[in-house]
Amino acid sequence: MRHPIVLVLAAVAVLPFVVRPVLATEIWIFAIFGLGLNLLLGYTGLLSFGQSTFFGSAAYVAGWLLKHYAINAFFALAIGVAVGAASAALVGYLCVQRSGLYFIMLTFALNQLFYFVAYQWTSVTGGEDGMPGIPRPAFLGIDFTDPLNYYAFIALLFLASLWVMKRIVESPLGKILQAIRENEVRAEAVGYSVPRFKLLAFVIGGAFSGLAGVLYAMLFGIVPLEAISFVFSGNVVFATLIGGSGSLYGPIIGSIVFIWLSESVSVIWARWPLLLGVAFVIVVLFFRGGVVEAWSRFWSWQSSRQRT
Amino acid sequence: MAILETKNLTKAFGALAAVNDVNLSIAAGGLHSIIGPNGAGKTTLFNLLTGQFAPSAGRIVFDGRDITGTPASRVAHLGLARSFQRTNVFPAFSLLDNVWIAAFARGKSWRGLAWRPSDRYAETSAQARAALADVGLAEKADQPARAISHGEQRQLELAIALAGAPRVLLLDEPAAGLSPEETRKMVALVRALKGRYTIVLIEHKMDVIMSVSDRISVMHFGALIAEGTPAEIQRDPEVRHAYLGGLAAA
Repeated sequence: MRHPIVLVLAAVAVLPFVVRPVLATEIWIFAIFGLGLNLLLGYTGLLSFGQSTFFGSAAYVAGWLLKHYAINAFFALAIGVAVGAASAALVGYLCVQRSGLYFIMLTFALNQLFYFVAYQWTSVTGGEDGMPGIPRPAFLGIDFTDPLNYYAFIALLFLASLWVMKRIVESPLGKILQAIRENEVRAEAVGYSVPRFKLLAFVIGGAFSGLAGVLYAMLFGIVPLEAISFVFSGNVVFATLIGGSGSLYGPIIGSIVFIWLSESVSVIWARWPLLLGVAFVIVVLFFRGGVVEAWSRFWSWQSSRQRT
Repeated sequence: MAILETKNLTKAFGALAAVNDVNLSIAAGGLHSIIGPNGAGKTTLFNLLTGQFAPSAGRIVFDGRDITGTPASRVAHLGLARSFQRTNVFPAFSLLDNVWIAAFARGKSWRGLAWRPSDRYAETSAQARAALADVGLAEKADQPARAISHGEQRQLELAIALAGAPRVLLLDEPAAGLSPEETRKMVALVRALKGRYTIVLIEHKMDVIMSVSDRISVMHFGALIAEGTPAEIQRDPEVRHAYLGGLAAA
């Protein structure tokens, strides 16, 4: 695959005509969420099981401001990014002090902490009922209540996010984070403060999660309690691994597969997570690099077959 | 003039003093070797000097500046670079990226850290290529580190340390696990670096030590038991007893 970006653009153009626009929109929002996680998971080698902390916090804060103060869409996005980054700075600061299993458990535990705050604080978050009534304000005179308009807006934001993430992973920072993934001791010895760079990865990932969170709230008009639950954190890890955490594009493919499956198959078959489980087992056993690796292996197999 | 000094440096792990009251003075521009039996505390001493561990007591002075307790990432920025006894590279990275990352760490500025494409740092890339050329790995620049031989990985280990343009180079058994032929190459390499950097060398191979060192310190059970020129060390009765016993008798 010489130009994966061409495929991404084609998918962006075609998707709303293949599936319902709302579903297509959700796919790109989830892809933004996945891009943020993958900076931690794929590039820095940090398995965070608490990404919905930042997604949900941003959704609640921006959703609340949208609902009660009728702020404009642009401001809502900025708030979402800021809340995502700030909550990630707080959580990340505590988590990067530990590594391995302890790190993973900390991201999970802090996620639970945020979850129970949202669960209990019913006057603001609505608790189990979620926070409904979030408007989708018009922006620059464009009516976002039209599903295709909103789709186009999200698709553009997704492409912008992809571009920003591409710049980040191809910058020295991207290389430093990968160096930390490869060998923390040596990265520290050549002059990089490992905890600080891990924290930076957290904050950037949190900003992406926060952006996705606000867009999600605006898409469905509600922040469900689920948006800050560990199930959501698990879903994004799941999707990213299925797509392939070793590649910039892995989480995008993962998001398409995951959201499409969860929305379309679940209608036919209530036990659909079983299917995801099977997909996950196949990925872990045979394709550690996810769909991206399966795809490239398939093509090298094809070309070797043609040569003989 | 001493560029690196320790004063009563001690590191205790529980009841064991791995480094015990060590007073060491490394002269600028020379090659100072540290020898001693396995478990004498040599690598622990390096870990203290480069900030991997904080000492239990004592001080470390680098170029007139107290660096006791300074974290490893900051020590590297002061110009104290080390190689590791057990190969410690970035396996999935190309050889060039392995040294590039070290060169960038010590670069003049980190401008564009999260935005500028990393292949657009011409100066850093040139530095990285020079470090690879220094150890004779220039032709393999694009190969992944995990694909090269053990001997070449030892050379890469050294190149990573060099890429940071250090003032003092701490080499922890650069010839560990090398064949006689590879060892000869490594010794030639260390000899070539002598004079360009102040070098502190840990090594087990006596012929290597005796031929390249300006000064030698001997460690035994965490303490320094002797210091001198190679000739003096070979004559020292205490050293012969503790360490060279078998060799001297032969």
